[in-house]
Amino acid sequence: MDQPRIGVYVCACGTNIAKVVDCDAVVRAAEGLPGVAVATTYKYMCSTPGQEMIVADIEEKKLDRVVVASCSPRMHELTFRKAVKKASMNQYYLQMANIREHCSWVHGDGVEATQKAIGLVRAAVKRVAFHEPLESRMVAMCPNTLVLGGGIAGLTAALELADAGYQVYLVEKADHLGGNLARVDLTAPHLDSARDLLRERIHRVMGHPHVEPFLGAEVQSLEGYVGNFTATVAVPGGNGAGPAAAEGDDGPTDGGGATRSPRTLEVGSVIVATGYREFDASRITHFGYGKLPNVITSFEFERMVREGRIETVEGRQPQYVAILHCVGSRSQEFHAYCSRVCCMTALKYAHELKSAVPGCYVSDVYIDMHAFGKGCEDFYRRSSEVKTLFLMYGKNDYPVIRKAEPGDDCGMLIEVSEQLSGELIEIPADLVILMVGMEAREDSAEVARLVGISQDKDGWFIESHPKLDPVATTTEGVFIAGTCAAPKDIPDSVAQARAAAARILGKIARGSIEVDAVFAEIDEEACSGCRICNELCPYSAIEYKADEKRSRVISALCKACGACVAACPSGAIRARHFTDEQIFAEIVGVLA
Amino acid sequence: MNEDRPTVADLPTVADLPTVADDQTAARVDRPARRAPTGAAGSFQPRIVGFLCNWCSYAGADLAGTSRTPYAASVRVIRVMCSARIDPTFVLKALAEGADGVLICGCHPGDCHYSEGNYKTMRRYPLLKRMLADLGIEDARVRLEWVSASEGQRFADLVDDMTQRLRALGPSRIKTALATDHAER
Ligand SMILES: Cc1cc2nc3c(=O)[nH]c(=O)nc-3n(C[C@H](O)[C@H](O)[C@H](O)COP(=O)(O)OP(=O)(O)OC[C@H]3O[C@@H](n4cnc5c(N)ncnc54)[C@H](O)[C@@H]3O)c2cc1C
Ligand code: SF4
Ligand code: SF4
Ligand code: FES
Repeated sequence: MDQPRIGVYVCACGTNIAKVVDCDAVVRAAEGLPGVAVATTYKYMCSTPGQEMIVADIEEKKLDRVVVASCSPRMHELTFRKAVKKASMNQYYLQMANIREHCSWVHGDGVEATQKAIGLVRAAVKRVAFHEPLESRMVAMCPNTLVLGGGIAGLTAALELADAGYQVYLVEKADHLGGNLARVDLTAPHLDSARDLLRERIHRVMGHPHVEPFLGAEVQSLEGYVGNFTATVAVPGGNGAGPAAAEGDDGPTDGGGATRSPRTLEVGSVIVATGYREFDASRITHFGYGKLPNVITSFEFERMVREGRIETVEGRQPQYVAILHCVGSRSQEFHAYCSRVCCMTALKYAHELKSAVPGCYVSDVYIDMHAFGKGCEDFYRRSSEVKTLFLMYGKNDYPVIRKAEPGDDCGMLIEVSEQLSGELIEIPADLVILMVGMEAREDSAEVARLVGISQDKDGWFIESHPKLDPVATTTEGVFIAGTCAAPKDIPDSVAQARAAAARILGKIARGSIEVDAVFAEIDEEACSGCRICNELCPYSAIEYKADEKRSRVISALCKACGACVAACPSGAIRARHFTDEQIFAEIVGVLA
Repeated sequence: MNEDRPTVADLPTVADLPTVADDQTAARVDRPARRAPTGAAGSFQPRIVGFLCNWCSYAGADLAGTSRTPYAASVRVIRVMCSARIDPTFVLKALAEGADGVLICGCHPGDCHYSEGNYKTMRRYPLLKRMLADLGIEDARVRLEWVSASEGQRFADLVDDMTQRLRALGPSRIKTALATDHAER
């Protein structure tokens, strides 16, 4: 191999890296490595001037390899691949060294961190020398989309795509569309009807020439890759626009009927909009949910309002109503996160109670009032004006609800250690509404596996980038929208649904997509025809050519996991871009 | 990974942001919350090669970074697409090149991005361990663990734990032994 001409670019990342790692020392160390023609550091390598610097160096200093030592390759590998491509260099001649996430952000000792950064850069330099130019493949983009979940997010995404003229398959597990919103009466903060919001959408989805809805259905498998997925959907007997298709009542139900043979769908993209489930209030014993009959959840209250009957189980109008926030949310034992919609929903209940039950006393027992959305602070102010008693309780210092004595003029008493006054306060209640938070659905792990995406510690699906790429996932072609990614309100769910649709429309407009040139290949000379690899490949990407007694990788099917490479007893399989030589070079580099 | 994700380059002049602000932010958020074991002060800092699968474990290690969870600077991570790519020779090579330990991380069982790669890793691992034992290499030097994309803390804890154990064990003699062996022959 001719001596390569490598450019090494050490990013300071503002001070994110430079504060801990001595970037100049890394540059000096890099300069001494064989093959390094240029080494330099810059404030932000990913910025336009940073990228232009690389482009100019490739052209002027005739570089043929580039190492960028900066953030994680999961963050900016594509940015820098694009940059080197601009200079007509093959994009696979790039290697990154992760000296931010894996170094400056986790190590406090500057000397050690600098040592490590040098090791990582050395490994990248050694590795990149073995890189080969690879040509990415262009594959056709199938314009159909599979949407999982028919809540407000799924409905919105489906319509956005269908209105643009592309086929959508909308798979809903329950026997009706609308999701959790179908269980809500009025919506905060504008007090418009959830039913109205949904009805029009459901109506259009059911009659749309480009939407095929499947109710009571489930996706059984998803195979393939961006632009070319194949999904199988199990559909129940009575599929279609029957009476069940209108927005349903509380809770999802099983799609009845005998299961018909599964449908196979060809799609280019997938939107996961599977939503959330409510926190099970009986898990918090202090609140007596399930034991005290007049302690109800927010969803049960929504139902009362919809039925126009706000009353206790005894059939009386409640005189005292207490609304308890953060049930299951923002707590040590249950969920640490805020469910984002309960505070405003609680204020909505105060409004509804005040108008439906004149003279009733409403107390609102909260931890903090989160009124962050557009129009929400105004809504809070208006609610304060309708004479609601606000009491603040401490995080993890749960109020205790108990039955009142026969002589009391109320059904229950709630003991609150009130934070603002510092006193232990007892308030009366005939009806207690628990503002149950949102949590990941019980089947979210299965869905994650089905479509090949990850979950965070709370079970929510993980986005490609929390700020810059909130609806894409690490699996190309699979998008997430709405509350399956984290708790959010209707406007945010809708915004994500439209964003996901827009991302897909962008891909459809281009007509074809570039897929990674990374896949396995078998050296026919070296292959002994043992067929060990054939069985091993999870994608059946290896075929056996009986006449030649050799195995061959069907590159379009290979997803480059490398399992076969490590298993071949003859060492006949190469993982492009992850070859043995490349990884050995890295090992030697980090340890030198 | 997504080909058309917006890059900072698409934004105007990020590089012109005032550095003072960076300093302040950095000072505010970057300080490690707890002390990770450092190799300074004379104590032996082992060298661990980490082989991490891209989808779960590497992302988990990235999360340790974004959450500023400090851990020992003993580990150097090499990224592979799936734990199933980790050829036993990688581990042997690392030990032969002077690593005091090798940490293999993949997705939790059932969560492999390629559905079953980590099961293959799991099956291959005992064979590797047996071979290492035959070679007289201490058990604690090679370890297989599952780390998900949300387990930044777990990754940090693993590295710290392994670092402590390797410290107790002392430096690996494999490299020198190999060198002597070679010289004698
Ligand atoms: C009590 C309460 C009151 C609320 N009030 C308001 C309010 O006033 N204003 C506001 O902005 N927000 C409010 N919200 C929030 C609102 O409910 C959500 O923002 C919204 O419903 C999210 O919609 P979604 O489509 O993401 O999820 P969901 O409504 O949960 O819909 C998900 C759908 O996917 C289906 N599904 C799940 N898994 C699968 C699968 N594997 N395959 C196929 N289908 C599947 C489900 O059956 C469901 O139909 C309230 C929430 C609660 C708890
Ligand atoms: S495992 Fe290796 S030798 Fe056996 S068939 Fe596959 S490529 Fe050929
Ligand atoms: S690298 Fe993985 S997907 Fe590709 S042929 Fe080998 S086992 Fe199959
Ligand atoms: S992708 Fe993580 S173990 Fe296979």
